[in-house]
Amino acid sequence: MNLDTLKQKISVLKSKANDDFLSSVSKEDLDDSYRSFLGKKGEVNLLLKTLGSLPQEKRKEAGKILNELKSELEEKYLSTSVSLSSSANQERLNKEKIDSTLPGFQDLKGSTHPVTQTIKEICEFFERMGFDVESGPEAEIDYYNFEALNVPDDHPAKDMHDTFYLNNSGLLRTHTSPVQIRTMEKREAPHRIICPGKVYRKDSDLTHTPMFHQIEGLVVEEGASFSQLKGLLNDFLEDFFGEKVELRFRPSYFPFTEPSAEADIRWNKNWLEVLGCGMVHPNVLKGVGVDTKKYSGFAFGLGVERMAMLKYDIPDLRAFFENDLRFLRQF
Amino acid sequence: MQFSKNWLSEFIDISLSTEEICSQLTMAGLEVDGYEHIKSKITGNDSIINLDITPNRGDGFSVLGVARELSVINNVKLRLPILDSVPDSFKDDIGVKVCSEGPIYFGRTLRGISLKSKTLPLIAERLKLSDQKLIDPVVDITNYILLELGQPLHAFDRDKLNGNISVRPAQKKESITLLDDQNITLDSDCLVISDDKEAIAFAGIMGGKNSSVTKTTSSIFLESAFFKPTSVRGRARRYGFQTDASLRFERGVDYKLQEFALGRASSLLQKTVGGSFGNIIGTTKKNSIPKQLKVGINLKRSNKVLGTNISKQKAVRYFKGLGFSPESKDDAITVISPSWRYDINIEADLIEELARLEGYDSLPQTSLNPVYKKKTKTTEEILNDALTSKGFNEIISYSFISPEDHSLFGEENKTLEVKNPISQNMSIMRTSLVSGLVNSCIYNLNHGQNDQRLFEIGNTFISKKNLVQETKTLAGLIKGNVSAENWSEKSRESSFYDLKGIVLDLLSKFDIEYSFKDNSNNFLHPGMSRSIYFKNQEVGFLGALHPEHLEKLGFKEDVFIFSIEISNFINKAVTSFIEFSKQPLTSRDLAILINKEITSEDLQQVIQSSAGKFFKDIKIFDVYQGKGIAEDKKSIALTISWQSMKNTLLDSEIDQAVEKIVNSVKTKLGGELRI
Repeated sequence: MNLDTLKQKISVLKSKANDDFLSSVSKEDLDDSYRSFLGKKGEVNLLLKTLGSLPQEKRKEAGKILNELKSELEEKYLSTSVSLSSSANQERLNKEKIDSTLPGFQDLKGSTHPVTQTIKEICEFFERMGFDVESGPEAEIDYYNFEALNVPDDHPAKDMHDTFYLNNSGLLRTHTSPVQIRTMEKREAPHRIICPGKVYRKDSDLTHTPMFHQIEGLVVEEGASFSQLKGLLNDFLEDFFGEKVELRFRPSYFPFTEPSAEADIRWNKNWLEVLGCGMVHPNVLKGVGVDTKKYSGFAFGLGVERMAMLKYDIPDLRAFFENDLRFLRQF
Repeated sequence: MQFSKNWLSEFIDISLSTEEICSQLTMAGLEVDGYEHIKSKITGNDSIINLDITPNRGDGFSVLGVARELSVINNVKLRLPILDSVPDSFKDDIGVKVCSEGPIYFGRTLRGISLKSKTLPLIAERLKLSDQKLIDPVVDITNYILLELGQPLHAFDRDKLNGNISVRPAQKKESITLLDDQNITLDSDCLVISDDKEAIAFAGIMGGKNSSVTKTTSSIFLESAFFKPTSVRGRARRYGFQTDASLRFERGVDYKLQEFALGRASSLLQKTVGGSFGNIIGTTKKNSIPKQLKVGINLKRSNKVLGTNISKQKAVRYFKGLGFSPESKDDAITVISPSWRYDINIEADLIEELARLEGYDSLPQTSLNPVYKKKTKTTEEILNDALTSKGFNEIISYSFISPEDHSLFGEENKTLEVKNPISQNMSIMRTSLVSGLVNSCIYNLNHGQNDQRLFEIGNTFISKKNLVQETKTLAGLIKGNVSAENWSEKSRESSFYDLKGIVLDLLSKFDIEYSFKDNSNNFLHPGMSRSIYFKNQEVGFLGALHPEHLEKLGFKEDVFIFSIEISNFINKAVTSFIEFSKQPLTSRDLAILINKEITSEDLQQVIQSSAGKFFKDIKIFDVYQGKGIAEDKKSIALTISWQSMKNTLLDSEIDQAVEKIVNSVKTKLGGELRI
């Protein structure tokens, strides 16, 4: 074979390969053509093997021409491949257009009861301040619910708590304060605790349900003062409502605190009572063996449903216990 | 306590608007519940003020008490009305005996009165403004004194009294018919007023019918007495009522007021009903009168607790105004509690007095320093998160349920009952959370919600001897479709296995060893339920509601419920990483034909125990009964997998394991490979 014959063969091969590449309808098709021309046993390699039959001085030139062919075909293959896949994708895109405005497949909507959410939110504020969350029994005995809290038998203060009594001589706790006593009996001062839970009072009308939720907090430490109590509650209410609140403290009465106070917030121009609080009565501290020379304490309590009603603008207290899914799923 | 603002002018001269007065009172601890401007025909512009008095402030239950409070706040003088003395026209022969519980008794007879005369217009108006009904001039005047001075008075028909008067404890099983016609049998800790024959009044609470003033009464005996708060407290409530008198006596009436009140009543009666007055009879058991306590306050300490800087002069002025007779030495002030205040016993009480006169609002405010504490998620939070992400809605239901619900879902014989329920429907403490879930489900079903996933976390109550066992429990209910409806494919109805999957997912979040056993709850479908055990203790169940219950409750579709006691749950914590194999996993699929009574759990156990040391996992991918296999058989298809930590397992090793499995299934369960 001489060089001219080779050149002629190359030219034929080139146009054949070009045609084959261009006429490929798919990537697989194109790859087949690639293999038949540029593969190990492809036609280009076959030609390379015939170089030996050329005269010595022509071999170098022939090799150069063949390598040029090779890279030219490689390039052609690549460009064809790119345009092929882009047109394949285009075709897919044309075919696969859906109505993406149809609704997505969602899971059933779960929800946490607003009372649970409110308790969590309130407790989280106090936990950030270093309070431990404590709980205790709902079926209590007179001692923890009244006596240890400085409420003697028959005292008019018991009128403030219409108590449900149980057939085992116990009662349903009327506030979560018994948890404070139980915790102070269990552990040594100082204390920072917050006690959320269900409480029960024999009262049922538009603004009262016989069961509701309360959160009470207690701080017993050296130097605990009324000004700290005011500051803490102010910080808490601003955290809870997420804005500055106008707050007022006024004297009140609870057997277990002295001085006692009630905190009102300004709500739609009116004052609205939201919290009861005070310095823990020395009798309460002494009763659980706290050294009142060293420690002083303050305590506060609030109704969870009332806070949730204010925050979420819920008009009717009873909504909390109807468990209507149309209500619950909003939270 | 409701009264006309102008009435205050009997005691103080202040020219404040009603709003200012109300704000002062509220901020001083006598909370104003509301007020209303009115026009009086007698006194001109006036207001009705309504107070909400706390139990510690018995002194706030009178116009005098309110005026005294305002006099201190505004630093003006308080004056008592000047009494026109009413001379005696005859010597009364009635004797009075008192006792330690009722140590002060003043009385006066008034003869020849006319009950037809009219109550003085000013008195009538003030009573009406206090929401007090007008009855007759005598009763009206006693009511007037009660409101004005806080001293309850009582008028007996003098002609119905037999012999002398005594204040004494009720005798055993002694009964009395009261003014309002109720007949009660008194306990021995109740105090009565008695004549020589019988009890004529429930002391400090209500008069008796037998001695009552009627239209024909012409002579009265007026009582102005003091009974100790401890002898009146709770007594009326015990019989289910409360009176204006008992309200005051149980909180404490000023024990120096009796003679003055009787004098004031005499002068008003003389002006109204006329008649002739006997001499005032008075008996006092001196050593039984409440002691006036000496209470000390350390001003330094007080200022520290309040964060204030109240000077000694100011404190002394406050205490003087309150009638506390203060004496001071260095930082210490000693006061004597006045006869109208029963709430001044310890230093803290005086600190409160300073705080409220200074104004709680003006006390300084400081922040509490936060203390770092590590926070971990609680069991309830973990469960709540898991369930809400599975589309569950949390409910909260009442802890007391109806006897009907209790008999459907509760544990009989372990019942804790409410002795004084709001209604029969709320009389039994729940022993399970199921009734709350079921009732909520029915409620929502009636409101068009077909697909429901509800849960509640709350306490259940069981009575054990005299103790209550309170258990924190989680319970859930699923009903209707497993997923929200969509436009593409039909949703599937929930099944027992959806419920079981949920329960398993929840349990997997905690570090607990649990097992399932046959269920014993009779409100569950016996063929579609399991009990949950921790170690050897039953702690819950899961299953479909029993068809009889479904029918009773009106359900047309299956309802699945579960319940688990969660008090012993321990949060799962990764303590250390466990090395996993990097070798390939080899698996084989087997279909095994066994008797249909054999449970998949039994089959899995047999397979697992004979699968060799490289056994890794077993997964059921099909259960089939029906065409092509005998009626008493079922086919369970499973994928069993093996893996070694060190090398790739050989086919021959797996073949051996499969052979062993097939043999044991055959010998232990009579099962065979289905081909």
